[in-house]
Amino acid sequence: MAPVHAAYAPSLDKWIKSLRSQSLEASIESLIYLLKRRQVKGDECATATAHTLLQVVARSKWHDVDQLLNRVQSAGSRLARAAPNEPVIGNIVRRVLGLIREEATEDRNIDDDVGSESASDIQALTPVNAPNQQGNRPAPTPVQTLQRAPTGLAGLQVSKSMFNLFSAAGNSDTPLTGASTPLSQAQPASVHALRSEVIEGIQELMDELSQADDQIASFSDIQIHPDDYVLAYQPSKTVERFLIKAASRRRFTVLIANSEPIQPGATETPYAVLRKKLNSHGVTTINLATNALMAYIPRVNKVIFGAKAVYQNGGVLVDSGAYIAAEAAQEFLKPVIVLGAVYKLCPEDPSDETVISELGNPSRFVSYANGPEIDALEIENTVSDYLPPSLVDVYITNLGPQSRPHLASILADHYKVEDIGYSLHESEV
Amino acid sequence: MTTETNGAAAPKDAAKNAPAPANPSTAPVAAAAGTNPEKLTPAQLKAKAKAEKAARRAQVKENRAAVVAAEPAKKEGADGKGGKGKGKQDGQPGQSKGHRPSMSGRRPSFPGTEKEKDVRRGIPQCFSHVPMAKRIPTSEAHKDVHPAVLVVGQQMATFAIKDSISRLEATMLALRKVIESYETPEGNSLSRHLVPHVLNPQIEYLTECRPMCFAMGNAIRLLKAKINSVDINDPEDEAKEDLLEWIDTLIKERINLAHFVIARTAADLINKGDNILTYGRHRLVEKTLLKAKETGKEFSVTIVDDPYDRGGLVLAKSLRRADIPVLYSPNLGGLQLKVATATNVLLGGEAIFANGSLNAASGTADVAMAGRKASAKVTILCETINFDRERVSVDSLTYNEIDPERYTADSFRLLFDNTQDKYITGVVTEFESGGGNSPAQAILALLRRQEDPLIA
Repeated sequence: MAPVHAAYAPSLDKWIKSLRSQSLEASIESLIYLLKRRQVKGDECATATAHTLLQVVARSKWHDVDQLLNRVQSAGSRLARAAPNEPVIGNIVRRVLGLIREEATEDRNIDDDVGSESASDIQALTPVNAPNQQGNRPAPTPVQTLQRAPTGLAGLQVSKSMFNLFSAAGNSDTPLTGASTPLSQAQPASVHALRSEVIEGIQELMDELSQADDQIASFSDIQIHPDDYVLAYQPSKTVERFLIKAASRRRFTVLIANSEPIQPGATETPYAVLRKKLNSHGVTTINLATNALMAYIPRVNKVIFGAKAVYQNGGVLVDSGAYIAAEAAQEFLKPVIVLGAVYKLCPEDPSDETVISELGNPSRFVSYANGPEIDALEIENTVSDYLPPSLVDVYITNLGPQSRPHLASILADHYKVEDIGYSLHESEV
Repeated sequence: MTTETNGAAAPKDAAKNAPAPANPSTAPVAAAAGTNPEKLTPAQLKAKAKAEKAARRAQVKENRAAVVAAEPAKKEGADGKGGKGKGKQDGQPGQSKGHRPSMSGRRPSFPGTEKEKDVRRGIPQCFSHVPMAKRIPTSEAHKDVHPAVLVVGQQMATFAIKDSISRLEATMLALRKVIESYETPEGNSLSRHLVPHVLNPQIEYLTECRPMCFAMGNAIRLLKAKINSVDINDPEDEAKEDLLEWIDTLIKERINLAHFVIARTAADLINKGDNILTYGRHRLVEKTLLKAKETGKEFSVTIVDDPYDRGGLVLAKSLRRADIPVLYSPNLGGLQLKVATATNVLLGGEAIFANGSLNAASGTADVAMAGRKASAKVTILCETINFDRERVSVDSLTYNEIDPERYTADSFRLLFDNTQDKYITGVVTEFESGGGNSPAQAILALLRRQEDPLIA
């Protein structure tokens, strides 16, 4: 059950503070509640997931790599199922899984080098793990593995024993758990070392999350030129950082699109902080009170979206209404720039649900006090849109501007082949 | 009025930053003084009267300002200097040219420049060319403005009368009252006097309240042509009767009949089981859908609304009352999926330009484009009185209006947008009976031939 203090003013910060004081299970549960209520959403999900997995690695009981992988997977899929519309959770889980595998393999490599028995080890293991293999030579196995890997790049730098690992994973019925990999034979003595290695790795990942926006922003002055008119569609924190950074170098005009009117109760104008910062640099800002942007597109030079997630095919999950804005931009041949850190890059194609888009609470727009006619109305308030890859001109990640064909190699650099196939929503706890 | 302000301000640079309010008063006063001794044509008389009024009003304003700040001393200084210099020559031409941004080329019928400037100062630079409706206190209106017109002007400025056809109808009815109460002065003829001396001030006032819509422009042009064609020798009563009847016919044929025909034609386009997608609320779309339901067709409607102007919700209610299944979307989110399931996109228009592009409520262009991309049929409903055969528009910033509620950088909004004809499958008007498959261009050509014998 969610702890009391997280319940009153739920926020990511509160939750992180509460991590120390409560059990692992309790903090996972309370995060699940936060996710389900959308009280933690968007980029925060990534940080929250990383924190959770760090706790899992540090505090749960595990004796070998397989157990660790299992623990991370089960915690990860619980979170992912709590917020199926937040693909970044899955990304972080996959990143951590990959990290664990890498650390474990490194440990093993060291062991192997020291023990200098790698060749016999492989020969001994291969027939056991791949009984359907006719020959007992290790050579054919890596070839097959590489063909299986969609990108082919992931395997290029791995050592001999890594090939062995892949082949084992590839041939077993459940490649997800890695239960039959040689890793299971890691020495319990190295568990302690592995734990600290993985924790360090996750902390590095958390640093990456926190620095991503700044890194993306550092590419802003290349994209934004003096006297540009830039349309920022419901700027996220990432986009805000990007614009502010550009403002320190350039004079331009920002049109901010608000797709939703200010709520009657709200007194301040939307994006007041962002606009104040931009104005202080001499950048003009205009809040557009519309989500029909076709009228303004001829005036603007480029359109910037903050991605919620970027899929393998180059499609982007964005705020609702962005699709039509991107379509309009394309009609007028204005570049569409998507800002998305590498951790938002999903090693999967968008599901049908993604394309159909998420529905939000309609009562903000239509009150049931409006009468029986409204009662009989079917109302859809879409809160997310999917941008097909054809509408995006450039993706700016924390590693720099990328074009769509290059996304595959970034994916290959950041995820392990085993984890790409891992479906968070289907696996059992 | 910028020209005038600049002209008057030039010689008195010494009185640096002479407050703006001083200018309107100085120039007209000088102008009035200058024209006094010469022979006075009616036009000059009128100009003089206007200038005097302007001066009076400016005086009132100055007094008001004096209460507020310690400005008046400065202002008097400016008056003394500026009054001499250029006022006489510069004032009038400057005024008559005016600086109305687009829709009318006329000078404002009241000298509220400084106030207008204050309001318009909030408009972001890149949209500063776009006109905006404004509320003019009735006390500041020109004295020649007829009470009926005054009311219509207020209603238009406050958007109580909003869409182009309602505005057209209200204007014509008000002008009808003006003509009804008109009596040609001694020594003048109706066809020469009515337009410049009576009608124009009304029209200027209306334009001041809110830029004229294209339907109003068309109708007023036709009305003026009609008045000019009145024979000088006709008895006045008969001529007036003629004009009143003409206005009645215009309303009957171009509005009421047009609505009926368009709704009927467009309703024929709806088939059983269709899903019709529409945007916001347009009078013709609403009439069409209700008409189709009346004729016994079963279909469903998807309403995509503008979250800043919830007309669609009103439409949704009215359709639900008629028992039409409605899917309501409060914004443009997920539009690509909604148009994909729609068989027909029905949109209403405010005006259609000579190049076939459509001027309609902001957001229409997005929906039309999405509809076209999804290969749905995009049908526009528009009365022919809204067709502008002289102007072309290629983007939404050419002919548009700023929402007077949202005109600052804090919140900015254009009322209309421009849909290029490539997104439009067909236009339904009251003229063609083909069934909404003809492009706007075809109708424009047809209109060119038909309009004059038909109405003027």
